[in-house]
Amino acid sequence: MGYWKDIVLGGWSLIEGMKVTGRALFKPVVTVQYPRKRLEMSPAYRGHIEFKIFPETGTHGCIACGTCQRVCPSNVIKVQGVKAHARSGKIATHYVIDFTRCSLCGLCVESCPTQTLKFSTEFELAGDSRWDGVVDLVLRMEESRS
Amino acid sequence: MAEHFPQPVQQQLYSLNLGPQHPSTHGVLRVLLTLDGEYILKADPIIGYGHRGHEKMGENRTYLQFMPNSSRMDYLSGLLYNHGFCLAVEKLAGIDPPERAKYIRVICAELNRISSHLLWFGTFLMDLGAFTPFLYCFDDRENILDILDRVSGSRLTYSYCRFGGVARDVDEVFIDQTRAFIKRLRSRWPDYHNLVTKNIIFIHRVRDVGIIDKDLARRFGVTGPNLRAAGVPFDMRKVEPYEVYDRFDFEIPTGTKGDALDRYRVRLEEMEQSCRIIEQALDQLPGGAYRQERVRLKLTPPRGDVYFAFESARGQTAYYLVSDGSPYPYRVHVRVPSFGNLHCLTEVLRETLVADTIAILGSIDIVVPEIDR
Ligand code: SF4
Ligand code: SF4
Repeated sequence: MGYWKDIVLGGWSLIEGMKVTGRALFKPVVTVQYPRKRLEMSPAYRGHIEFKIFPETGTHGCIACGTCQRVCPSNVIKVQGVKAHARSGKIATHYVIDFTRCSLCGLCVESCPTQTLKFSTEFELAGDSRWDGVVDLVLRMEESRS
Repeated sequence: MAEHFPQPVQQQLYSLNLGPQHPSTHGVLRVLLTLDGEYILKADPIIGYGHRGHEKMGENRTYLQFMPNSSRMDYLSGLLYNHGFCLAVEKLAGIDPPERAKYIRVICAELNRISSHLLWFGTFLMDLGAFTPFLYCFDDRENILDILDRVSGSRLTYSYCRFGGVARDVDEVFIDQTRAFIKRLRSRWPDYHNLVTKNIIFIHRVRDVGIIDKDLARRFGVTGPNLRAAGVPFDMRKVEPYEVYDRFDFEIPTGTKGDALDRYRVRLEEMEQSCRIIEQALDQLPGGAYRQERVRLKLTPPRGDVYFAFESARGQTAYYLVSDGSPYPYRVHVRVPSFGNLHCLTEVLRETLVADTIAILGSIDIVVPEIDR
């Protein structure tokens, strides 16, 4: 008795399962055909860091204070700046970040006193060597403007 | 179980290495099995292939700099670890985050718990040979990742909590999305039950398999859903409520026998309880600040130590921090639940079949990088 009951109940449970699978056939697909279709990126997406360009000055506001360099847990930021003349503040001339070792924690962006850092929403990054991940943000910004 | 099969005339024992890098060991775990035919006489879990030295790293970076590490220890429930680390440091430094931050953290942590359980659900069934539920789970999990991605900016290593609050505020869209997700998840339960829980093959593979009873659990320090499946209602959220968990009405699901089926049931029920917590938290979500402003970048907690235990998706997790008054912790130690959960395998696997090993290992829900932190 138990044997036949098992077979009938077991068979029924399989049919129930097949029903669930069958229904999925008529549902819209959830995957996105990536290169042709794209999803909207989240506004908070943490890509590599980038300089924000302030419209008032037309340039970044980095004063080469080094806060981001000190707070970075992965030690991937190197920033250098010069003083235009003796009494003025510094302006960054080089801002090198090794993105390949960045842990995308967001501490640099949060700690920047002039709020000049932001995350880019770029996600399709590829390179031939690990040096492709090392970018100079100042250079990059100037190139993008010219 | 062994007596159901004829004993071999001549004992020929041999060893078999299950893993490392076996798809069903969920990471770099090696289980050295001593077999007699298909029976396991002895099973030794061997760990340590992925040692990353997170605890040592904690000693040469500041408290804030260690934050991203905490969500990498367990890649499936990163936010819970992150949350726990924040709470431990806050307890050490005496920071009290604003009410809104507490609620946001609880909502996000519970969402992360559901996503971790959903991933377990999928991979467990895939270990047993069912591929369809895996895709369904990932479909549902994708929704959670989208929600958390929107608020924290990352899909796996959230690094979202900060000392004295969270990194970003949540908005109306987040609340709507979360409510919609809970509604959707609830509408999926019948599907899951029809597809899996009632499935005869599934039941026969997990019922009375891999029994972890109360006694065994106590000896090996098993916690989390594995312990609750044995019938012990032990949950850090209830026993030692942290954050705002004592304001919510939820139950601790328990099993009776502690076999793989019970562990499966407990986890499914736990997802439902997490949904209840999220709903109540969303209803009570207060306004105001989401982050306390005055927390310094280089936090210097007073001298002393703190042991803070919380409930991660896999069980009781704890941070032990020692501070010598400098911005760098003197010691960081993490108690991970998977370690205890894994090491009862030696007892549980005795006299079972090789096929059951996969079912038991899957039902225990270990994350090996968490052990080899
Ligand atoms: S996101 Fe974190 S790891 Fe990356 S550069 Fe900024 S501080 Fe360093
Ligand atoms: S980016 Fe910000 S924190 Fe970093 S050096 Fe420039 S001003 Fe200072």
